[in-house]
Amino acid sequence: MLSLLETLINGLLLGALYALFGIGLSLSLGVMRMINIAHGDLIVLGAYLSSVIVLNTDLDPLSSLLIVIPMMFVIGWLLQKLLFNRVMGRDPLSPLLLTFGLSIVIQNLLQELFSADTRSLPAGDLALQGIELGGVNIGVLPLISAGISVLAFLFVAHLINRSPIGSAVRAVADDQETARLVGVNDRRLFAYMAGFVLVTVAVASVLYGMRTPFSPTAGPERLIYSFEAVVLGGLGNLWGTFFGGLIIGVAQLLGARIDTGLGPFFGHLVFLVVLIARPEGLFKAGRA
Amino acid sequence: MKSSKILAMLVLLGVLVALPWIGGYATQRLMVEVFTLYAIALAWNLLAGYGGIVAVGQHVFIGIGAYSLFFLSTSFGLNPWLMLPAAVVITALFALLFALPMFRLRGAYFAVGTWVLAEITRIAVLNSDWLGAGAGMPLSTMMGITRWLRNAGIYWAALAVGVGSLGVVWWLLRGRLGLALLSVRDNEAAAAASGVNVLRTKVILWLVAAAITGLAGAVAYMNTLQVTPSASFSLNWTAAAIFIAVLGGIGTLEGPLIGVLVYFLLREMFSSYGSWYFIVLGCIAILTMLLAPGGAWSLLTRRRPLDPFGIRRMLS
Repeated sequence: MLSLLETLINGLLLGALYALFGIGLSLSLGVMRMINIAHGDLIVLGAYLSSVIVLNTDLDPLSSLLIVIPMMFVIGWLLQKLLFNRVMGRDPLSPLLLTFGLSIVIQNLLQELFSADTRSLPAGDLALQGIELGGVNIGVLPLISAGISVLAFLFVAHLINRSPIGSAVRAVADDQETARLVGVNDRRLFAYMAGFVLVTVAVASVLYGMRTPFSPTAGPERLIYSFEAVVLGGLGNLWGTFFGGLIIGVAQLLGARIDTGLGPFFGHLVFLVVLIARPEGLFKAGRA
Repeated sequence: MKSSKILAMLVLLGVLVALPWIGGYATQRLMVEVFTLYAIALAWNLLAGYGGIVAVGQHVFIGIGAYSLFFLSTSFGLNPWLMLPAAVVITALFALLFALPMFRLRGAYFAVGTWVLAEITRIAVLNSDWLGAGAGMPLSTMMGITRWLRNAGIYWAALAVGVGSLGVVWWLLRGRLGLALLSVRDNEAAAAASGVNVLRTKVILWLVAAAITGLAGAVAYMNTLQVTPSASFSLNWTAAAIFIAVLGGIGTLEGPLIGVLVYFLLREMFSSYGSWYFIVLGCIAILTMLLAPGGAWSLLTRRRPLDPFGIRRMLS
């Protein structure tokens, strides 16, 4: 019974990280109406950037974010400016195929630069520490990363619902044409949005790299988990994405109890079953 | 069609059929890859270019087709060629089952959703001991067949898959379904209003694409005599299909033909460069989407319209 509770809690903590993967995907789908197939590969890219910084400086992974975050912002801004903006509004398939090509380029560039070997970010003492609550053991690192995920969701929700940039973003999400008429420069806005999306990716990537070994081809799986979180939560529903991530995390770890190789299988299964039973997602679509 | 054209096509077909007597085993094996990948790209293009539905997880049907053939043939000791129709039927049944969750999704969501299908199926096969788990299955029923006949037989099967899938797609697009598809692609609401059953049209397309892909996958793995989950349920298949269709021209029947030629030309020349080869392929796909989203065929026909397959519809 206690071990089941432990699995449940660990599943929620893992799911919070998946939710953090999904936050950027949710934003690009909700506001820019595009899906970035390279989303998972950008998560892996962020982890490699952090790894390079950690190996060449005195910084630990978490403080490497001081450098990784601005770098990822610039990468996102440039990608949107140079590539994505040129194919947006044409038809929904063009951005998808373009980012598919980008995904292959990133994976193979990483392979060329860092070889196919797995590596991980040194978490130091954090990886070993745990706290015991009524007989249940919880790792400190998963707890911290879940905490950061909750903070990220609070921050993004506040930004979108309360700030002036947020109102422009909401306007574009609701009606791009009218937003343009009242003076919103959507292309410029999208470039900043993409930069911001990669800021969330940067945070997610460092936490991910500290928890799990990664390799150049780990990206697609991250994309799929993020995607499942977004769709389960209901499209355009930011907090829905958060809970969607939690469900995938719990399903994976409960599934792994049945058979260690079947963890992700049960995550996918829950996703498909929910899709048949409640195609609109588990949570009613609301304000992004 | 002019009689000289028909004659040229018959000569070409005759040479292709006679290849086992002309070329060596290496040529035949390469041609098996060309024809099967062509059929897969054609199926992807049929879905994306004519149905407006992108399937990033199309490789799920390669794995299902190949495993159907290997399982039936190996466990019951049956002739693998005779099991090809069964592989097609099994793949189509899976596609029907998959349609249940997938057609709740639209556009980009459908695209990535099919990827989830491929992943869940791959993990299921990987954990199934009766399918050989991670090590996969051999095609042991090929043992008693002479090398020449085996290679020639697989080659002819691949040739039939390539030519046959083009025939099926051409026939579909010329008929009622083709007209319905065009109207759905151009304006879904207007098509529905004029009596086109949009969902039914798309599901039929999905089943046809799945059947072609499953058959091509089965023949492709006859060529290697061993199927494994990681290779047959690999995204690389769909990536190649997308590259071929995008480069040649999405939504044209000629596109995959040009695309597959360019793809194998590049592969034979540059694949020894490893990662750099794939980086260049990815960049070519990105540049095509940016500069010529209609692909090579749109560049060729910009000056003068060509319609070798007679399926374009013009208002006159």
